[in-house]
Amino acid sequence: MKKMTKKDTVEVKETQAAAEPAAAAAAREKKLEVRNLTISFRTVGGKVQAVRDVSFDVYKGETLAVVGESGSGKSVTTRAVMGILAGNAIVESGEILYDGKDLLKISEEDFHKLRGDKIAMIFQDPMSSLNPIMKVGTQLTEAMLLKSRANVRESRAQFNEKLKALENAMNLAMGGDEQTKQNNKKRCGDFDTFEYRHLALEKEYLSARQGAIEATDAIDRLLFEIEKNAVKRFKEISAEIHRDAARAVHEYVVTDESITPLLDALKEKSDEIEKSPERYGEISETLTKIRDILNGALEKIQPNFFAMGYYEQFSGQPLPQMETQQLNAYLRKYLDDNFMLEFIDCAKKALVYSETECVKAKRELLPELDSAKSMFDGEPDKKAVYALIKELSQKVMNTVNPLDLVKDSAAYTFRSSLKSAVDRYFDGVAHNSKEQARFDKETEKYEKLKQSGKDPDFKLVPANIIDLDLARENILRVIERLKESVQARIDGEDKIDFDAKAVAMVDFFKEKASGVVNKVTKAIARHRALKLLEEVGIPEPYKRFNQYPFEFSGGMRQRIVIAIALAANPDILICDEPTTALDVTIQSQILELINRIKAERNLTVIFITHDLGVVANMADRIAVMYAGKIVETGTDEDVFYRPAHPYTWALLSSMPDLDTSEKLEAIPGTPPNMIFPPVGDAFAPRNKYALKIDFEQQPPMFKISDTHYAATWLLHPDAPKVELPKIVSDRISRMSEVNKK
Amino acid sequence: MSDNREVLLKVEHLEQYFKLGKFVNKAVDDVNFEIYKGEVFGLVGESGCGKTTTGRSIIRLYDVTGGSVYFKGQRICAGIAPYKREIKRAKAKYGAEMKQINKAKKSGEISEEEWLKRASKAEEELLKVMGEQTENISSARFDHNNCNRLYAESQMRLVDEKYKPLIENETDETKRAELEKEYKQQLRLAKKDRIMNKMQMIFQDPIASLDPRMTVREIIAEGLTIRGIKDRATVDEKVYEVLRLVGLVPEHAGRYPHEFSGGQRQRIGIARAVILNPELIIADEPVSALDVSVQAQVINLLNDLRRELGLTILFIAHNLSVVKYFSDRIAVMYFGKIVELATSEELFAHPLHPYTKSLLSAIPVPDPLAEKKRRRILYNPIASHDYSTDKPTMREISKGHFIYCNDEEEARYRAELEK
Repeated sequence: MKKMTKKDTVEVKETQAAAEPAAAAAAREKKLEVRNLTISFRTVGGKVQAVRDVSFDVYKGETLAVVGESGSGKSVTTRAVMGILAGNAIVESGEILYDGKDLLKISEEDFHKLRGDKIAMIFQDPMSSLNPIMKVGTQLTEAMLLKSRANVRESRAQFNEKLKALENAMNLAMGGDEQTKQNNKKRCGDFDTFEYRHLALEKEYLSARQGAIEATDAIDRLLFEIEKNAVKRFKEISAEIHRDAARAVHEYVVTDESITPLLDALKEKSDEIEKSPERYGEISETLTKIRDILNGALEKIQPNFFAMGYYEQFSGQPLPQMETQQLNAYLRKYLDDNFMLEFIDCAKKALVYSETECVKAKRELLPELDSAKSMFDGEPDKKAVYALIKELSQKVMNTVNPLDLVKDSAAYTFRSSLKSAVDRYFDGVAHNSKEQARFDKETEKYEKLKQSGKDPDFKLVPANIIDLDLARENILRVIERLKESVQARIDGEDKIDFDAKAVAMVDFFKEKASGVVNKVTKAIARHRALKLLEEVGIPEPYKRFNQYPFEFSGGMRQRIVIAIALAANPDILICDEPTTALDVTIQSQILELINRIKAERNLTVIFITHDLGVVANMADRIAVMYAGKIVETGTDEDVFYRPAHPYTWALLSSMPDLDTSEKLEAIPGTPPNMIFPPVGDAFAPRNKYALKIDFEQQPPMFKISDTHYAATWLLHPDAPKVELPKIVSDRISRMSEVNKK
Repeated sequence: MSDNREVLLKVEHLEQYFKLGKFVNKAVDDVNFEIYKGEVFGLVGESGCGKTTTGRSIIRLYDVTGGSVYFKGQRICAGIAPYKREIKRAKAKYGAEMKQINKAKKSGEISEEEWLKRASKAEEELLKVMGEQTENISSARFDHNNCNRLYAESQMRLVDEKYKPLIENETDETKRAELEKEYKQQLRLAKKDRIMNKMQMIFQDPIASLDPRMTVREIIAEGLTIRGIKDRATVDEKVYEVLRLVGLVPEHAGRYPHEFSGGQRQRIGIARAVILNPELIIADEPVSALDVSVQAQVINLLNDLRRELGLTILFIAHNLSVVKYFSDRIAVMYFGKIVELATSEELFAHPLHPYTKSLLSAIPVPDPLAEKKRRRILYNPIASHDYSTDKPTMREISKGHFIYCNDEEEARYRAELEK
């Protein structure tokens, strides 16, 4: 162990850095914010501090990988996000902000709406996450069907609410005389009507197109199998092709006359040769013809249904006969001239107006927040404080811009955060002395028994004392955070692109309307479930669909769990070591699947694992956790090419890769007992690079680059220079050579 | 390649079928390989390909369906199903022949004598096959049931050979009595010696494979007790010795498994396996249930033990990086068959079978840039092979590199290897 010189009196500066993202990242939409999360578990032996002051953000469409040993608190953190902490868990402090809600404070009822639907999780143990007495297919479709019903209601409500808000803002922005009001009302009403018309048209088209795509896929598969003499389900596949191709008949996809005779021929032929495998080849020609027609249809241009919906709804004339391209241009022009340009213009006006109002209100709010802060100096009065909370939170809610598409989390959660922080403070005021008295009394009794030589038959329960200074700090921090967000909004006022915002608004309406129109029926759900099962690599899904979980092997079960998590089409996907029990081929298949779905749906993924190979594949950013704390965080390249924390080094050097031949460096010892967390750096006892100060003081997060932070004293300017372990530096140099090629 | 090296374990045409209602699941189908003394033989493949079943069949946790396993030159398990199949086939052939000639006789195509000649010939053939196969079956049954006794007898013979001359040549009475006592004790131990004790297994899940109601001492010493060593002091000494060997301390002997971490539990499993001085250890995914940091500890431990005790290890795993790091030779299994077998360098440098290629392309590496560019090769047996006319077999394509292929593929692989 090296000794640090002059190190013992270093001033610890908590850089709030870890929580703050890179400047470049600030533009992206934050999906989930975790702030100062501390979670303990009450056990017989005492309080186990599982998560200690963890903060991170997750942005839309990125993968955050959380790496660490078992017991490092990575699963507990994500379980808190899902709201499924064990019963003996105590959330000591912190916030988890999602979509304008603090997930630590919302009720179980509200959580039902989020869990599985917005935030889904793939569990480590597939045994315990499947229902043993339900068929796999039912478990898969259950959520889809339930969600669809809820989704329709919710989308409709959101659509109406936002449209109403927009109309109001338009009225206010354009001066409220009766004529403009009427115009605005008509505008919004028209938009409402033709938007639904548009979606109905589009739905039919997409369904036909999907039919064509699936039919061509099935034809390709069957032709391939015929060529290789390995046809297994001739009857079913040909029936499938027939069905899908028939579905493809649509005005803008395939005409009825061109495909029906072929399909009839196909049916006749396949009935005839169904039972004689050596004659399967005779069907190839018909199949090729059908495929060519469908492929040609798929290359056609898609009509502009948005404009067409308007035309059909309001022009009162039949569609003009022309090529799709010209038709699109014509309809587009018609829509723009008659409606869209004006609507966008009005929407923009409304947006500008409402933003100005909002910023104005926020400006007024700032001094009030300052005065609220002063209230907590010294001994605050309980009644006055609660009155203030009520008043202040009302004011804060008034400053929320009703046209914001991304909810202003800080404002929405202000009330609950402040209230719980204040509750805790007054709880301490009321109970601290009582708790202390009880504890003193018990200790006295205990000592007496001990001294008289008897064995006391009870355990001393430690006093549950709330640190009042800390509680007050928490309160101030809540207010401070709101202030920061208000200030950020005020500063950002001139940089807003209102044109883009108006377009985003229209897109929002489209999305919500499609939520109403696209209902999931049983048949659709079954179809989707089969597709999903196929996607996650389950052979013969049509057969597996009606089986029970016990009929599947471990790897297969895990795939079902993944399919269920993806079926709900979630916003945030939490994967808790999903591939640990699977072999490499399936693992990489599943990872590819998650990656693809992430790209397609712009999904946010939190990926927990201890396999660094998997992390390299999945992660955009990595957080390394040890003993309930994040010790290093950075982009994938930061952590793999420039690791800074000794624990990261140890993790990297303890796994063999394909070129490793020297002895592996195992991490000696075991993680610390978190009932008595170490004073200094928790990793110090197992760390051969530990400095003296590591045993005495916790290292702060040191900033290495905009995206890269690590909590180790080695990064302090006065620390001695330490070389990377050889096995890691060798690998990094090898990797950089490979990547140069 | 290592013709001069001693073959410790030889697996011949191993078959292990499971009945699933109407269907038969061919978990292991005609698997052949040899393990040389002192090497680590890796067995890889996706889950459900039969690698664990192979390991379990070798150590006789299952009764094999067909084929034989030779351990230290002695057949330790043998299946009879293939012989029965042979008899069935011969009977069917006989039946068909008889039907044909009976028909011919009826229609008057062949004479009575001709019929008699052909019938007796067919019957003779049938009896010959049946005789051969019945002999095979009884020999297989005998070996299967008596391998431990045969081994004990051979061990007793060894003891005899060692002590008899010593005792005869000894003149001093007291020394002679001492020798005789020692001889008797050794003989007693040799009588209880079993060949299966020379083969031990380490299981995948360290939590499920340790009895929660036994102390570590009891768990580790169980094998010794069964083997007839009952002296408490000797047992304790041996238990402490292996505990030290696997990196635990003697104080741990009195504890229960639940008091240990995952890595320590796996060490207990290893201690239990090595206490009987086995020559072959079957390690069935010993690290896949452990954390990375602990994985390294266990791998290092196995490596040290192998050096110190001269162990031979059959290493079953699906983590290819670990297998590559740890094994000398690797066999790749796919759906109950070994498709490729080579030294680990050769296999990773020149993978030939499309399944091996697909498997290697799926290994994740801790390198984000390379990882994001990595493309997985897909393996589709229907597309890759055409075995409709030419059936594949196991062929040696270069020294020590075996591959499951047919003529056309062999030529192709050779061309690929030369490049």
